[in-house]
Amino acid sequence: MSQPVPTHPRIFSIDVLRGIALLGILIISIWEFGGFSVNEQTRLRLLQKGADYNLFSAIIILFEGKMRAIFSMVFGAGIILYLSKPQQPLIQTHELYIRRQMWLMAFGLVNVFILLWPGDILFQYGVMGILLFPFARMSKKGLLIAALIATLIYCGKNYWYYADDKKAYRKFKAITLVEEKFKKDSTERHHKDSLAGMPKDSIHVRDSIAKKNDTLTAFQKRDKNNWEGILKGLKYDSTRAAEKAENKAMRSGYGKIWNHVLQRSQNKESRWLYQVGIWDISSMMLLGMALLGFGFFNHRFTKGTYLLLAVTGIVAGAMLGWLRLEYTHTRLIDYVKYINGHAIPPNLFFPVERLLLATGYASLVMLLLQLNRMTWLGRALSATGQMAFTNYFMQTIICTLFFYGYGFGYFGRLSLTKLYFVVAEIGLIQIVFSVIWLRYYKHGPVEWLWRRLVNRKHFSNKKTEQPAL
Amino acid sequence: METYTEQYNPAPVAQADRIKTVDIIRGVALLGILLMNIPGFGMNWDGWYHILHGSHDTKDYNAMAIISIFFEGTMRGLFSMLFGVGMILFTQNKKELPGGPTVAEYYYRRLLWLVLFGIFNAFILLWFGDILYTYGLCGMALYAFRKTNPKWLLVLGFVCMGVNMLKEQLRWNETRDLRRNYVEALHAKKENKELTGEQTAAIAQWPEREDQKPDTAFMNRNLRTMQSGSYGTIFTYWIPKNVWDETSAVYNNWFWDGLAMMFVGMALFGWGFFSNRLSTSTYVMTLLIGYGIGIPVSWIYFKMGMVTPAAGYAHYVDMFRVDHQMLYDIRRVLLSVGHASLILLIFRSKIIPWLMKALANVGQMAFSNYLMQSIICTWFFFGYGFKYYGKLHFYQLYYVVFSVWLFQLIFSSIWLKYFRFGPFEWVWRSLTYWKKQPMKR
Repeated sequence: MSQPVPTHPRIFSIDVLRGIALLGILIISIWEFGGFSVNEQTRLRLLQKGADYNLFSAIIILFEGKMRAIFSMVFGAGIILYLSKPQQPLIQTHELYIRRQMWLMAFGLVNVFILLWPGDILFQYGVMGILLFPFARMSKKGLLIAALIATLIYCGKNYWYYADDKKAYRKFKAITLVEEKFKKDSTERHHKDSLAGMPKDSIHVRDSIAKKNDTLTAFQKRDKNNWEGILKGLKYDSTRAAEKAENKAMRSGYGKIWNHVLQRSQNKESRWLYQVGIWDISSMMLLGMALLGFGFFNHRFTKGTYLLLAVTGIVAGAMLGWLRLEYTHTRLIDYVKYINGHAIPPNLFFPVERLLLATGYASLVMLLLQLNRMTWLGRALSATGQMAFTNYFMQTIICTLFFYGYGFGYFGRLSLTKLYFVVAEIGLIQIVFSVIWLRYYKHGPVEWLWRRLVNRKHFSNKKTEQPAL
Repeated sequence: METYTEQYNPAPVAQADRIKTVDIIRGVALLGILLMNIPGFGMNWDGWYHILHGSHDTKDYNAMAIISIFFEGTMRGLFSMLFGVGMILFTQNKKELPGGPTVAEYYYRRLLWLVLFGIFNAFILLWFGDILYTYGLCGMALYAFRKTNPKWLLVLGFVCMGVNMLKEQLRWNETRDLRRNYVEALHAKKENKELTGEQTAAIAQWPEREDQKPDTAFMNRNLRTMQSGSYGTIFTYWIPKNVWDETSAVYNNWFWDGLAMMFVGMALFGWGFFSNRLSTSTYVMTLLIGYGIGIPVSWIYFKMGMVTPAAGYAHYVDMFRVDHQMLYDIRRVLLSVGHASLILLIFRSKIIPWLMKALANVGQMAFSNYLMQSIICTWFFFGYGFKYYGKLHFYQLYYVVFSVWLFQLIFSSIWLKYFRFGPFEWVWRSLTYWKKQPMKR
């Protein structure tokens, strides 16, 4: 019973990259875990100075979306690797693959609805793994083209939502014109009524004005509220009312938090996945599948190529990131002015930005590995990446217990700098834990459970030989 | 894309391998689905409200009672059951070329195309009630259960129904909470106690929930848009609704709705129910159980779940701890089984072989017929076609249904004389195998 489950070949560089991505994901998700609110983000963006602002903008440019992009990329490569197990018939591999993705979705549901992490992406990865299954046989070139098309569609979607905002603003403007006309009309009537010799402040006159004063239709009111809502969402609220309510809710007990995050969780698994996630995730997964085919992860490229990719990707990506930061700032100051003056939204090229930076980072890591500059760190990161699934769950468990009300309740209590001490601490714990665990066991605990469920066969997780300490 | 020798060529099911009774039942379900869809195609949304709140002595009310009691959800139920059966048949009948795509790959390609066809049906043909999208997604979950024991499939089906029931009960609890808070707040107000902020909110919230009357401005706009809007107008108009249907509605409800019936259908197929393998007395028994329990339960569902709340919602909320919506799936399974048994018994009795043959033809090209219903009905009712939207009485809508049925029965029979597949089946298959399929007989 020691070897009942055929394993796919492990590629060291993929494990390292997965480890980096796994640790890096927390850099962004800590905002949601720790209660670094949108309002606080707006405050920092408008402030434009100070240590917190510098840290925040560096993170936006260098990390926002990029770590998850690398995660998706290696997940895509992993799909191809999993499907190419040589030891068993293809149909059996496919059967196991589908079951594996469905269990992943189930794990995602546990992460969301039991461990209460609404930012979970395992569910979405499970879904996307199934949707991309028919693409696994495509040529590497075809996959690359598909990845670029998905990226373009993602850009198009971002434009679409901006166009919606523009439309909302146009409607609002038309309605304000109508309102002005109403006002003018009613003033004229008022004058007329006064001229007719009626006492100005009699109830009778006020009634006649109220009757004659036209009102907006229900649809006009809705359209007006819609745009005003958009503007309100962008404004910094110095009373911090929303944050206070959020902090109170997240510092309460398990049942209350469950109810509080329910809608957000469901939205992420339905609407977000449908409108954004599908392109966000598939573009990078397809790229990872293509890159595996080109031998990117197998050191098939020369050092010069990796260097070129790293420099181009990081420089061009960071420039796009900086532009996004600047444009977002302009938009926050005055959205009406932004809409009148700009044809494109700040985040139009975000999909390209993250693709460039993620590829750049991955190339840099490949180069460092090729130069043997990452010996012990590489091994540590590879261990972290090998049990990424376990570590992902561990992040949820640690962070919810640290920040939520049924744990230590630090939600919304830490400054940005302090949040990153927590991130660094968790990263350190995860690296050490992974290295130690993998000395004694073949797979991380959750990985083992996952395999156990997919293969429906018990197998021992213990390493047969005790490692020399 | 692939070039294989004829012998290994993975191909659609040969004519001889088709199970005739499955096609017949599918044909009935396909035609029957229009019974439930036609109000969506042709009636303004406040139609339901006005019929339920109007006199109960009208043709409209009676037609609605019959449709709701005997058919609501059952035709979709049968269709879902047979979709599950179709999955088993598809994965069983495939030969594979060593090294070539496996059954799983063809299956998932096929479903991915189905999802795209669903998007096409909703966003391009403008049928917002599309079900293909949901079926595509449900089908992707089914594959892992294709060899599961029928007993467990039945259990899974009931688990999925349980999920929907649980969600229903949670929604109902929320409604009852609103009502209770409202009543308590009113009491406090009467006793001249100072109200808390929550109590003030409760007093404002409940009347909103209680008022089931559709918003007139909204309904008028809907009528105007659908009756006289151009294709472009209606296309834009439906986008938010279609997005909502394909996200929240699928996630919260339709996915479980479809999956539940698919599992039940697979279980029944495993026991030989749909393939005409059981004894006549068994079918008589399933008929008696299905109708004998299903019809009374369905009657209660209609009377207590639709008519009573319409007569007084607050009273209804006060009276029932559990909403009658809970009976929806129970009555649906029973009635679907009853319908299927009836069809199988008629088939066995051989009294109307010509009709059975025609129904089998309809069922064999169910996919084309389903999309054709969208095309015909949108053209008949919508502003860019004959503009009949909102112009017919509820009962008159069924004249349209009968005409479409007649057309589809005749059209399918003629088409299949000359071609091997329905037109959209042919497109779908060609896309799935990524190779032009032979079409002519």
